[in-house]
Amino acid sequence: MSLLIAKQISKTYTASSWFQSKKKEHSAITNVSFVVESGMCLGILGESGAGKSTLGKIALGLLPPDQGSISFQGEDLYRVNRHKRKQLRRDLQVVFQDCYSAVNPRMTVKQIIEEPLRNFRRLSVSDENRTVANLLETVGLTINDMNKLPNQLSGGQLQRVNIARAIALEPKLIVLDEPVSSLDLIIQKQILDHLKELKEKIGLSYLFISHDIAAVEVISDRIAILDKGEIVETLDTSNMYACTHPASQKIIRSSL
Amino acid sequence: MLMSRLLGKQLVISVLTTLLALITLAGIFAPFLAPHDPNLVDLSHKLNSPSLEFPLGTDQLGRCVLSRLLYGTRVTLSLTLLIVASCVAIALIIGSIAGYVGGLIDNILMRVCDTILSFPSFILAICLISIWGVGWQQMVFVLITIQSVYYTRFIRGLVTNLRQQNYILAAKVCGSSPFLIMIRHIIPNLLSPLVIVVTLEIGWVIMDISALSFIGLGVQSPTPEWGAMINEGKSFLLSHPRLLLAPGIMIFCVVALFNLLGETLGGKKGTTKSIRKSKKEPVEGLGGTQ
Ligand SMILES: Nc1ncnc2c1ncn2[C@@H]1O[C@H](COP(=O)(O)OP(=O)(O)O)[C@@H](O)[C@H]1O
Ligand SMILES: [Mg+2]
Repeated sequence: MSLLIAKQISKTYTASSWFQSKKKEHSAITNVSFVVESGMCLGILGESGAGKSTLGKIALGLLPPDQGSISFQGEDLYRVNRHKRKQLRRDLQVVFQDCYSAVNPRMTVKQIIEEPLRNFRRLSVSDENRTVANLLETVGLTINDMNKLPNQLSGGQLQRVNIARAIALEPKLIVLDEPVSSLDLIIQKQILDHLKELKEKIGLSYLFISHDIAAVEVISDRIAILDKGEIVETLDTSNMYACTHPASQKIIRSSL
Repeated sequence: MLMSRLLGKQLVISVLTTLLALITLAGIFAPFLAPHDPNLVDLSHKLNSPSLEFPLGTDQLGRCVLSRLLYGTRVTLSLTLLIVASCVAIALIIGSIAGYVGGLIDNILMRVCDTILSFPSFILAICLISIWGVGWQQMVFVLITIQSVYYTRFIRGLVTNLRQQNYILAAKVCGSSPFLIMIRHIIPNLLSPLVIVVTLEIGWVIMDISALSFIGLGVQSPTPEWGAMINEGKSFLLSHPRLLLAPGIMIFCVVALFNLLGETLGGKKGTTKSIRKSKKEPVEGLGGTQ
């Protein structure tokens, strides 16, 4: 079953204001289509500036595309009413690259993880504590970390907190925008293995965005190569070295 | 800041706040501390030199200078508090809306602000008071009108910057409403830069109140206010300089203390500049990125 279907989406950033006549246009995404199958991981591989984060924001329902449509679980993300949209949000979560800017520096680990729970579920205090403790355990942290502030944690630990927040509502799809790029190699591997394990355990699907072929290869079932805002090729991970487009060859070869 | 490097930031902050707290307390408890009624005219005692009965002497109408200074602290500080609190409240509402909503609303609001900012603020204040009439109520109203523009721009800059932080996006994805995002994420992260700027601005507001009262457009005599006291004393500049020096020194000390405190709180980050000196909103060092 297809969970997320993007059809022919385009996005142009216009740097203009209402009172300035001259517009500066920058086309970030052109005619991009892709499908994320349920229980699968689609990797989006592209160089920096290729439009990956823009694509991720569009897929999350945060940035309306100029053209095209995104449907999630059969509903168009940008056309549904507010109530339905909130329900869809619940099943669609995110982990960002920069783990420090992805959390409010004034909130404790517990408050960070509680935020989605409070928005969607009415839990008693003890249930809430138990849920947060369980989530921390699931991502490999301990209850002792619960009252720490973000600056008391390492990058890897904080990224685990971000993952815990993303899985708190038991979503169907998580958009991972370079979730390990700012971490060192050993931690990268740990987090990737962990994400893979979670995917199997809770039946998650991922849209995994990265510029790092090695990371994409570990976790993705299929890979779409994004070059200058266009998807030039989509392949199964197993035969990605059989790519034909020069831009994808350049990215994939660069890792050899 | 040389002082905070020599003595340590915490120590400097606590000394400055203690001094300011003492001055504030002196204002609050003026009725108990003041030896005389500040407005009691007694021409038999006019222009007395400092004595046990009148520690700072008396003015041309025989009023006790110390009592007037103490009550003046009350007047100045409460007017300042009123002005700054109103400005912050207005700016938090308008600035947050402009910064968070963006687009056309933001553009219109900011062009209005730019128009007001393009006039020198003190001249503008004098013009508005001459239209609306002289008196402390009018002065407060005018200062709130003008000052809140500076604050609005500042808050709008902070919010625009915070809005792009990933944790705001993450909060949206978590299902938090714009109202909750404002309360949970934006306002708490605005507070520390706001406190610094408010501390720096208080000094300026005190100067404005004193200056407007000095030229007779603000607090009117016989209400004891430092600027108005300098005005009344100016004819005795040579014969009895203490009539000017006493309120002058008070203004100087309070303004300097607030400015020092603001700069010490601000540290070396980019937020220490007064919002009047830089019309552009400061954007560095916020939101806890990296
Ligand atoms: N808010 C924005 N306004 C204008 N241009 C933007 C904005 N966000 C991104 N861009 C531009 O769009 C292009 C793609 O950016 P992005 O999606 O962040 O790429 P990636 O994540 O692949 O590095 C870049 O050239 C970037 O400068
Ligand atoms: Mg990116």
